[in-house]
Amino acid sequence: MNGSPVDIIIFAPLAPIFGVALLWFIQLLFIEFQKLLLSKIKRNHQAFCRFTNFIGILFQSICHALGFTVTKSGIAHFKVTVDYGRVKPKKNRKGLFEWISNSFLFIGPFFLPALLILGCFVLINGGIDVTSSVNYTFAEGVINFFSNVYVLLEKFIILLVRIDLLHPVQLAFFILLVFLGLGIRPSYIGEDKRRKVDMMYDLRNIWSHITRKPLYVILLFLLAYVLSYLSVLFNTNWYVFLFSILGWLSVTSIVALFIAQVIILLIKTTDEIPGRLKILTYITLPLSYIIMRMIFFVFSVEIYGYKTISLLVMILSTVLVTFLLLYYKTNKFKTKINMKSLKKKTKET
Amino acid sequence: MEQDELLNNEKIEKVLSPHPLSFMKYQSLCIFLIIWGLLSLWLANFSEYKDLFTINEWFPIVVWALVILAVGVLASIVAIRWLIFFMYLGIVLLGIGLVIWQNWIQGPWIVLPIYTVAMSFIGFLLVEWFRISHKYIISNHRIVFKGGIITKEERTLRYDKISDINSKQGILGQIFSFGTIIPISQSGFGLGADQSFAAGGVQLGDKKAKFLGLFGGGREVQTPRARSYYELHGVYPYKEIKKLVESMVQGSVITQYQQEQVEFQKEQVDIQKQMRDLLKMQNGPKTGGKNDKEDE
Repeated sequence: MNGSPVDIIIFAPLAPIFGVALLWFIQLLFIEFQKLLLSKIKRNHQAFCRFTNFIGILFQSICHALGFTVTKSGIAHFKVTVDYGRVKPKKNRKGLFEWISNSFLFIGPFFLPALLILGCFVLINGGIDVTSSVNYTFAEGVINFFSNVYVLLEKFIILLVRIDLLHPVQLAFFILLVFLGLGIRPSYIGEDKRRKVDMMYDLRNIWSHITRKPLYVILLFLLAYVLSYLSVLFNTNWYVFLFSILGWLSVTSIVALFIAQVIILLIKTTDEIPGRLKILTYITLPLSYIIMRMIFFVFSVEIYGYKTISLLVMILSTVLVTFLLLYYKTNKFKTKINMKSLKKKTKET
Repeated sequence: MEQDELLNNEKIEKVLSPHPLSFMKYQSLCIFLIIWGLLSLWLANFSEYKDLFTINEWFPIVVWALVILAVGVLASIVAIRWLIFFMYLGIVLLGIGLVIWQNWIQGPWIVLPIYTVAMSFIGFLLVEWFRISHKYIISNHRIVFKGGIITKEERTLRYDKISDINSKQGILGQIFSFGTIIPISQSGFGLGADQSFAAGGVQLGDKKAKFLGLFGGGREVQTPRARSYYELHGVYPYKEIKKLVESMVQGSVITQYQQEQVEFQKEQVDIQKQMRDLLKMQNGPKTGGKNDKEDE
């Protein structure tokens, strides 16, 4: 075992915690960007925004209920609507139990949808590889943590690139990814602006939750340190693995958010196309994929990665159709008759 | 609504139809058929389990039929409507009959999935036909509910006869801003009943002599419920329509404040009458006396 004792005792346990915090911050930025995009399309797509709100509120309420269940407070009332969720406990517990149930409420919505996606991913993929090292220094901890995260990210991207949208299980996984990606946000995009609900609002909530009971946070840190020392003692680096799960959840959320954002961006772009022509974009999307797959199937073209090629064709053709529609249909200065003949006509008259 | 159907001084405020997604409980039955049609096509032709379907020529048909019937039973129990099961049974029997009649059993597993998807499209069309047959007319005097594909039904409800308004909005309704408003009349039209029943059996005696007893108890709860023809089913925009109906009802029904005012005015009239009588009584003998003297 290499590394100085100070590093192993004081700094090494902090390595995966920093890693999780960093990924979680990136996740927050993605959430903020998604909220910005949603607020841009809110006017024309109120139903869509309400739907995303509902998914977000549903998970928030489930997390809240989960918090009450874990702390054995019981659930007296559970209500989820498009605008708000309400969960009431049977017993109003104070102290540590209250703090834990609130932790579920504030932090749960960031991770619970991702947990569902990750579970499905593991089922489809058949597990995730974990890297471990025998060195328990801060640097090794960071490397181990990010290696684990990278392994998952790589496998996730490979799955997405090779995804077969005509395979029911994979299609269901993709739909789940998009739906949950739309709902991985704890705060609400309302019908009207009641108050500023943004990333800072979420962070302020979490910060006040932490500072209200600093003793519990210190206890959590102490627990983390104890776990770290135990993993050094037994020479099995499952301390980093434990935090890697949180890292995986963050990465899963980021991927889901990214895909959801691409879809929102497509909706936002097609909104600029006048009239009903925007339907062409939405028709091109599945049609191009199905045509490509049929070509590969009917003509028995044996090309490696034909699913990826079909996906690529689908994306490119959709982008091209959208671009062409935007170019030809939104040019306000373009006249029906060309300028030369128009000038001639005006001269004649 | 035609002009001659209107009452004196009647003005139409809104003419409504249910929202396209308001009959989702029926549409979801069609959605299931599409999904199962495509899934069975994939299972038997492209999936890793496709060899299973080649064991026996009847095997895919049996699987296809059993899944549809199982979902039919499940949906019927949930919706408490056995019509769903019989509809699915009809689809299954028709499908099997078609396959046997045309001798398509030995061919590739493609006919029944296509047939299932086609049936779901027919289902969608029927639901849509049923939806557009509904017409709700909100005027300043009454609400007229019209509907019916073959038999035309109509219900007219005057605002002063409405005793209660029940409104509900599911998740889909909340997302797409539609909802159902049930005006309950004073006679109780618009109310249904939820029934629950519990039963227990007891067996007494040994092998030779048996006694079987069955004990049960039922319970009924009145709940706002009406056929889609007799309620404002899935109307859009829900909040606006609800406000309109409520304001119309409020405009036709005497409110508490108005009742108090009427009572107060009655009291005032009574007092004034009493005062007039008193004045008459006070003035009565004097004038009578004068007359008597004059008479004398």
